Amino acid sequence: MNNKRLLLLNGSSRKKGTSCSFSRTIKQLAEASGNTAEIIHVIDCYDGREDFDAVKGLISQNDIIAMVAPLYADTMPFFDIWFLEKLADECRNELKGKGLFAVGQCGFPDITRIEPLIDNCRLFAEETGMNWLGGLAYGGGGIINGALMEDLGKKGERITSGFRLALDNILKGEEIPSRAQELLTINIPKLLYRPLAAYLNNNAKKEARKAGNMDYERKVYLE
Amino acid sequence: MSLVILDAMKAGNGISDKLKEELRRNDKEFSYFELRDMNIMPCRSCGACGFISPGKCAVKDDAHEILGAIARGTTVIMLTPVRFGGYTSDLKKAVDKFMSLGLPTYIVKQGHLLHPVRYGSKAIIGVGVHEGISKDQEDCFNKLVEHNAFNLQSEYRTLFLNTSSGMENIQKEISSLLREVC
Repeated sequence: MNNKRLLLLNGSSRKKGTSCSFSRTIKQLAEASGNTAEIIHVIDCYDGREDFDAVKGLISQNDIIAMVAPLYADTMPFFDIWFLEKLADECRNELKGKGLFAVGQCGFPDITRIEPLIDNCRLFAEETGMNWLGGLAYGGGGIINGALMEDLGKKGERITSGFRLALDNILKGEEIPSRAQELLTINIPKLLYRPLAAYLNNNAKKEARKAGNMDYERKVYLE
Repeated sequence: MSLVILDAMKAGNGISDKLKEELRRNDKEFSYFELRDMNIMPCRSCGACGFISPGKCAVKDDAHEILGAIARGTTVIMLTPVRFGGYTSDLKKAVDKFMSLGLPTYIVKQGHLLHPVRYGSKAIIGVGVHEGISKDQEDCFNKLVEHNAFNLQSEYRTLFLNTSSGMENIQKEISSLLREVC
């Protein structure tokens, strides 16, 4: 299970957000079992701060690639899709036969919202001849807001256990087991959605007051 | 009735011209955006569109023109090659900015937490162009359009155009779509 090389793509525009925190934990877990892992920020490639040829080199050197991304408008942010398009068009030989898995996270509790993100990554793997190792979805990423797993108590331990279990299979070239997803899933009864919405709306009002702007329902493009 | 066309096709594809021709022939009012030439910057999750400048992205780019048209319009047609069962980055760069069409508060609808919509519901049409795709890719594209529409609390419809079926058939498909949605 050791001596594998793992390249983690942080698909968020934030370098201290939840996707990056997840990437960091996965990196630490991979390294703890004798593998090497590296994180790169996709936004740096888009912004031209990371040389794409260097990324191409990294793809060649690694055995497994992971896309860890937030949900923007129901799938990855556009710069991640731009990056996958570029990889598919320019690095097909480098990608072929390597493992790919995805971790998607969104602010809403319902993880079915993340399905298109996971599907897009799976179909990218299919198109480029990669070995699809599965996807994990986390609902409630906004609440974590970039916190480190070790600072999240039981919740952090449970998420870390899910990633550990997933990595056990991934590093053997096997698909992520369903139990890993179960560990990542927060089961909020639908009955509690209305009180949750009320709580979040109360927080929104506080934030609006703090920003000195209570007119957050403005129809700015119709004014 | 006002249509907003988000065109993510490459230059000289033929389908974009057919769509414009059909719109003009049917005397439809529309706003047309050729996304490949537009300067739309990525969302940086700065949160400004929530409370600092509510409903307006702090980034000064061409997305404001599109969002203004959507706010005033009734129907959004998204024309894109199907890539990895979804949209190309050229379309997604515009769709990512849909965030500011919602309010920063929450409602519960059909058992889901959602953001209320700022400008009311729209009809969302996803037109996926391909040279032959699997059922799996079609299903994935359908699901993405469905989720986008659900977030905007809108009705949706998808159409797939296979470029190998010939331009005459494509024109018929477009014509039939416009009859249905306009």
